[in-house]
Amino acid sequence: MRITTVRIIVQAAMFALFVAFVLLTTFSNLDESPSLRYCIGKFLEVDPLVSIATAITTHTVYKGLIWSLVILIPTLFLGRFFCNWVCPYGIIHHFIGWVFNARDAKGKIESNRYRSMFAFKYYVLVGMLVAAAFGSLQIGLLDPIVFVYRVFAINVVPTVNMPLQAFFGDYRMHAYGWVVGFLFVFFVSMNLVIPRFFCRVVCPLGALLGVLSRFAFWRIERDPAKCTDCGLCLQACEGASAPDAQLRMAECFVCFNCVEDCPHGALSFSLLPAPAHEVKNPDVKRRHAIFAALVGGLFFGWTKASGKSTRDFSSTVIRPPGSVEEQEFLERCIKCNQCVRVCPTNVLQPALFESGVEGLWSPLMNFRMGACQYHCTACGYVCPTGAIQRITVEEKLGLGAFADVGPIRLGTAHFDIGRCLPWSKNIPCVVCEEVCPTSPKAIHSEHRQLLARDGKKLIRFAAANAVTLVDYPAAGRAVGDPCAFRPGEFRGDPTTSYHVQVHARDGSVRTYPVANNDSDTLSIRGEFDPVPEAGQVAAIHLQLKVPKIDTEHCIGCGLCELECPVVGDRRAVYVTADGETRSMHYQDRHRNRSLRLMKTAGGQ
Amino acid sequence: MPVSRRDFLKRGGATLIAAGAAAGGAVWLYDRTGKAGLGQPAAETLPNYFAGVDYPVSAARISVARGVGTDFETIDRMVRAAVGGLGGGPGLSRFIDRGDVVLVKPNVGFERAPRFGATTDPQVVRSVIRLCNEAGASRVIVADNPIESAASCFARSGIAEAVEREGARVMIPARVHFTPLAIRPAGAGGEPYQPDPAKYEALGTWPVFWAPLREADKVIGVPAVKDHNLCHASMGMKNWYGLLGGRRNQFHQAIHNIVSDLGFMMSPTLMIADGVRVMMRNGPTGGSLADVKAGHTIVASVDQLACDAWCYQNLLERDPAALRYLDLAQGKYGETESGPRSYARARRFGTRDWKAYRNRGLIVEANV
Repeated sequence: MRITTVRIIVQAAMFALFVAFVLLTTFSNLDESPSLRYCIGKFLEVDPLVSIATAITTHTVYKGLIWSLVILIPTLFLGRFFCNWVCPYGIIHHFIGWVFNARDAKGKIESNRYRSMFAFKYYVLVGMLVAAAFGSLQIGLLDPIVFVYRVFAINVVPTVNMPLQAFFGDYRMHAYGWVVGFLFVFFVSMNLVIPRFFCRVVCPLGALLGVLSRFAFWRIERDPAKCTDCGLCLQACEGASAPDAQLRMAECFVCFNCVEDCPHGALSFSLLPAPAHEVKNPDVKRRHAIFAALVGGLFFGWTKASGKSTRDFSSTVIRPPGSVEEQEFLERCIKCNQCVRVCPTNVLQPALFESGVEGLWSPLMNFRMGACQYHCTACGYVCPTGAIQRITVEEKLGLGAFADVGPIRLGTAHFDIGRCLPWSKNIPCVVCEEVCPTSPKAIHSEHRQLLARDGKKLIRFAAANAVTLVDYPAAGRAVGDPCAFRPGEFRGDPTTSYHVQVHARDGSVRTYPVANNDSDTLSIRGEFDPVPEAGQVAAIHLQLKVPKIDTEHCIGCGLCELECPVVGDRRAVYVTADGETRSMHYQDRHRNRSLRLMKTAGGQ
Repeated sequence: MPVSRRDFLKRGGATLIAAGAAAGGAVWLYDRTGKAGLGQPAAETLPNYFAGVDYPVSAARISVARGVGTDFETIDRMVRAAVGGLGGGPGLSRFIDRGDVVLVKPNVGFERAPRFGATTDPQVVRSVIRLCNEAGASRVIVADNPIESAASCFARSGIAEAVEREGARVMIPARVHFTPLAIRPAGAGGEPYQPDPAKYEALGTWPVFWAPLREADKVIGVPAVKDHNLCHASMGMKNWYGLLGGRRNQFHQAIHNIVSDLGFMMSPTLMIADGVRVMMRNGPTGGSLADVKAGHTIVASVDQLACDAWCYQNLLERDPAALRYLDLAQGKYGETESGPRSYARARRFGTRDWKAYRNRGLIVEANV
């Protein structure tokens, strides 16, 4: 079998594997088969740029990232084979370029000549690694594996699912999935202008592997004695690595097309060819690299000087359960959106700039879309870098061995009492209390007597079980207007009851439940004791359940916000990051310590 | 060069066909009022799932089975005893005809393990499915539209596994499964009925989880019996809330109206209430074993209203006279001795006065 046929089979298999991993990344799959948790993120774990960049920011190699040696070490021997044999994004570019390439043979040869702009990716790499050295992890923006996982998670899968929902259930919704999708399509379309544009010009992982290729033992070797300079080797050269002249090792994708296309057998894949036949190092100008490093450093300055992840943190930055503290989170999160993909409720959403520019596409909880499911810890299973730690349900809920530590709190719920129906509109509700999943419920309600609108009246005359009322006189008037109630207005409904408070002249107040009313007379259940006198004040109250939050029990799961009937993008109950446990042990970084401390202080 | 006749006819013909198609299409789709493309799709209506059951008025209306144990064998015996108390041959043969598609509607509202009593016990569901199969049902569908992620709720509650064991099918709701249902008939002009709050109505036309209902010939409610923070108890009638879609959370402002409307909306083939565990407080979510008492009871009934009242009194240990939605349901569809809502006309039983059934000997009890 020809080596290029083998390559095509491997590419197809790798892409199928990638798609299978993406589709298998669901809560129920991972819950049922724990072994899946260790494979669905393998493409991310073998990515050497992920492990090197996170090693720079965290000084550790997190769990599965040790797998990156599987790519890194062979690259030292074989060159950038990853780009044309393994990388799913590279495979997409290769495939699209192959299907939609409308050039003639001469055009193909010209389109595959090396251009100096291909060095741009090395500057991208330098800038990102310098930013990482300062503590800002940005490789995920352009790393092809992270990029393609993100695109599939928040754009491709929801988009494909949408017309097929009758068969596959509901599609996911992500507010800015289209931006990621647009970038994806942009880079893919660029193949029609410059073949493998992303891989040749932009890809920082390709750049890293290109640098590592300089040590490669095996590479493409041209025998000048056989070569007729026909240029046919460039016809399908994926990397634009100049096999027709001095091979640029850092650019070669080891696709073997040139070896196959050479009509004279002048090209071969050989061990340690003559150094004169190749360009070992990337085409990088030292001054340009220094400039890129400066830009990377500058980027770090921008991110930290915004204050968005420190002093001016946004209370909407609510991270998944098991997330590490925000500074550490940003040092780890590569924005692959695996957590967003696996989340069973759609609550996880990619961020824009809520946590500053460095938090772009990192996961946030949007409780209008879903709520953090009580017994679910799936996001931690799939996080490749430990930004979300692998926690158990016991750890999340503070059960068993974790009873002393208590539950993980994502934040705390609050009421917007101006919008809450019972709080401001005298309308019964307390759905929030109903759905609150903690035991005892963090949201509880108290019965409140609230003065009805214009509820203060004067008694005109009273019988044993009824009072006829007039309006309380306006200032400067001796007598009030007659009342004009809607008949039955105060009969109440099953969830609201009305009461009349009779204020006696000695200052004592008695309350009686209202049975019914006509235009100016209230009848009560039972009888007055004593029967009121004319001229006494009678105040009409309604009784409502008004919800409250006990911060000690609130875990910030957001179910109350999701189910609040005051709908749209702003609910009457909402969760903020205040009081989150992940920042609890960081004195200077704790978000609203007072929410917790005052509670404990009160208990001591 | 002049155009040949043939060419002229070809080109002219093509142009005429294109012009004709454009004009025809425009006329066909023409909307003179500008409103033809607006509005809701046509609403479905729900049949009376009890009407087809040949049920003698002298037979027991409520059948209670008590037993100790939460293993499948014990619960299966309890369910059989409860159903058997209603008489009419073995198992569900009185209720299920050979070849029927049966919708079993448990309460799978929350993602909780069975021991917390927030969901219907999976063994009860399993036993009911088994009885349906024995009665010759062609298919059994188990469906609910929970508040939390449906797949997780079915998995955590153990119901998914129970359903799978008996070879039935769980139907997980998706947006495409919901269709407007006219709970009350539309007006003369076809405009949807507007519920009247003065009559304590809340539902007119509303999206429901229609996919399982479309297929079902019979509907069996298998509710959990539990406390509810807002409407005091979630039992049989409240269980139909799990068939609603849309922004159903806004109904909580009139919760008793909606629960009684749900009773009005759904006339099930049979109710089998799960009182194996009873969540006594902190409902409807619970989450602590301290909230749950052992109820040791299964109740089968052909009268969901009386069944709710019985459970409220005997399992939740509260006074049904104080439960407003029972009162409202009585007014909406409850029987009167001879009036327009007699059984003969409405083809359904409905009274909140379970003690009257007891006095008439229409409640049977058994211990297993």
